[in-house]
Amino acid sequence: MRNTAQALVVATVCLFSSHVFAQGAPGPSRPAAVSPQELQRDLETMKKQLEEMQQKIRKQEEMIKQLSTQPAPPPPVAKPSPEVEEQIRQKVREDIMREIQPSLSAATRTFPSLFNPSIGLVIDTVGSYMRDGGNFEFRSAELGLSATVDPFARAYAFINGTQDSVQVEEAAIVTTSLPYNLTVKGGRFFADFGRLAHFHDHELPFVNRPIVLDQYVGGESQADGVEVSWLAPTSQYINLTAGTYNKMGAENERVSNSVPRTLPQFTYLGKAATFFNLGDAHSIDVGATVAYTPQVAIESGAQRQLWGVDLTYRYLPPGEASYRGLTWGTEVLYNTERRPFNTVIQDVDTGELISETTLKRRNAFGLYSYIEPRLSRRFSAGFEFEWVEALDPGVVTTTAFSPYITLWASEFQRIRLQYSNIAQPGGHDNAGFIQWTVILGSHVHGFRDR
Amino acid sequence: MRRLVLLGLALVFMFLVPSEGAGATIRVVATIPDLADMARHIGGDLLDVKSLATGVEDIHAVPMKPSFVPLLNRADVVLLLGLEAEHAFLPALLEVARNPKIQPNAPGYIDCSVYITPLDVPTRIDRALGDQHPMGNPHYNLDPVHGKDMARAIADGLARNYPEYAATFQKNLAAYLATLDAAIARWQREAAPLRGVKFVSYHPDMIYFAERFGMEAVGTIEIRAGIDPTPSHIVELEEMMRSKGVKLVVRELVYPANLAQTIAQRTGAQLVELPYMVGGVPEAKDYLSFINYNVQTMLKAAAMIKDAQN
Repeated sequence: MRNTAQALVVATVCLFSSHVFAQGAPGPSRPAAVSPQELQRDLETMKKQLEEMQQKIRKQEEMIKQLSTQPAPPPPVAKPSPEVEEQIRQKVREDIMREIQPSLSAATRTFPSLFNPSIGLVIDTVGSYMRDGGNFEFRSAELGLSATVDPFARAYAFINGTQDSVQVEEAAIVTTSLPYNLTVKGGRFFADFGRLAHFHDHELPFVNRPIVLDQYVGGESQADGVEVSWLAPTSQYINLTAGTYNKMGAENERVSNSVPRTLPQFTYLGKAATFFNLGDAHSIDVGATVAYTPQVAIESGAQRQLWGVDLTYRYLPPGEASYRGLTWGTEVLYNTERRPFNTVIQDVDTGELISETTLKRRNAFGLYSYIEPRLSRRFSAGFEFEWVEALDPGVVTTTAFSPYITLWASEFQRIRLQYSNIAQPGGHDNAGFIQWTVILGSHVHGFRDR
Repeated sequence: MRRLVLLGLALVFMFLVPSEGAGATIRVVATIPDLADMARHIGGDLLDVKSLATGVEDIHAVPMKPSFVPLLNRADVVLLLGLEAEHAFLPALLEVARNPKIQPNAPGYIDCSVYITPLDVPTRIDRALGDQHPMGNPHYNLDPVHGKDMARAIADGLARNYPEYAATFQKNLAAYLATLDAAIARWQREAAPLRGVKFVSYHPDMIYFAERFGMEAVGTIEIRAGIDPTPSHIVELEEMMRSKGVKLVVRELVYPANLAQTIAQRTGAQLVELPYMVGGVPEAKDYLSFINYNVQTMLKAAAMIKDAQN
């Protein structure tokens, strides 16, 4: 580079001197017609060119100087030892975290409500038309709250507003870390009786609660008490539940929740449930429950037993489970207790007819069975059949059948149409229903609500 | 009668005797087969790995079978995809599993999304926008580079629970990552023809795959995630496909076939049917063959589109 620059300098000087020499000593070959003005112009042009060339040379000299003073390339850096490498990584990590920590802290401070429970609201409204006329029923606005309490328990509550009242449907504490696969639940909750008895109304697969559950259990299996459940430590799913309650059934009027009672006057529950996979697509849930009240308070010393067997068959092809499948669910209940029975007797002395209420043992069976094929992601259709003997003697049996279709606009909105044909003690009735249900906020798919 | 009683007792004992895993080492339950496969590579014989899903299910609707409860009850760790991918079944199952070791925030709860930078993180949480995942799109397992993050999360999670085997996990992880790196380099070379290919899918679950291989996800058959399409949406989608020159429809195998086929026919697009988990098709036996199946299937479709255009 330096040699090139020097050659350029020499060449430029030679060129310039020869040019000047040529101008100062005109030769015989020089044309006589060149005017002094033209010479002057040429001289100016050459001066300019000279200046430009000098400038170039200066730049090149600077470049040469720079290049010649540049330090030699550094020797290759030795790879740091793993310890040093880890230290560097650690430092980089810490530096990055220090940089982003203000944003992280700000984000955490933005959500001081993180400890608040999950909140959800279900609005369930039903329009119906039957022999007596039609009605729009605001069935419920159910507020659900749930959260963990501490490392040992969680709790949940459902507060339900209907067109008549607001009541606490459930408010229960559930242990989360007991040994031996045990769970204890206490408070007010839906007792683990059968399958659909512990479903909230809006979670049922059809519009209305099955008649047998309404009459035998007393609506939802609401109970104030305590329940212990145990999961068998085996590869087969076996779950056993034992419970003791003031009474079972939200609309069970036999006893009051608020009156103290003796031990025989509590209701005791035992349940066993299991499950069988029949290949990938087919399965069966089976459960058996008994609720035993040694001494029903209103009936001097009479005991009551309510037995239930539930069976649910499911066909869910694994690859198509979100839009194809079938559920067949059946529950059979058997109630045995002494029920009040009105008899009319004639007084032997006076011949007068006297109405007398006596207690008479009554064994009653009832069942419902439904089948529900899933037609697509949005539609399912179903058919429910019910047959229920009355709890009281001398009352005729109720039979009903109800075809229905369910449309899911999304996971959180559902519309259901149902027709019911009911033959019951009061006579025969046809009824049409439309149910519209939505879920706002938090919504957890519970295991028991399968 | 006596025989019946004996038979009954035999059945009871058959159920009560713990039949599996009695002498096993670390019992791992993975929610999906992708994680189970990686865990087997990382843990080797130290682990007894089970997967809840078989791979053909919709991860957002895996049936909540009671037979999963004993598995989770006896698990030492649970591996999950996270970002609420398993919201339909895992939280409820954990609630009844009675196993404090694998509850959220316990060491045995190994969320494999911890090293993932999620895509599609919503800027507004609103159910009007469909079944949102507030923490971002959870289908990152379709991107093999994120597969490396998943494997790392599994190795770190296992090491956190079993530090005595940490060196083994790290050694196996390094070997697995080397295999995965080689495969990724090959896929990236092979997938050059996919660059710039526009497609619509049934559900927004292909975005990580698209991002990795330079494809362009321009719409979904669902109106929004988890919301089935209306006729007007299909008309708009088809118009958009024609105007943007979209020639590829992806049906993830867990979604209905008819509608995707109809849309592909009406728009003259190629229909591609892809699994989105290991086990979704017989060829996707493990994570490497799963990604390979998706890449090769996409490449075949891209070649057919090119042939049709020439």
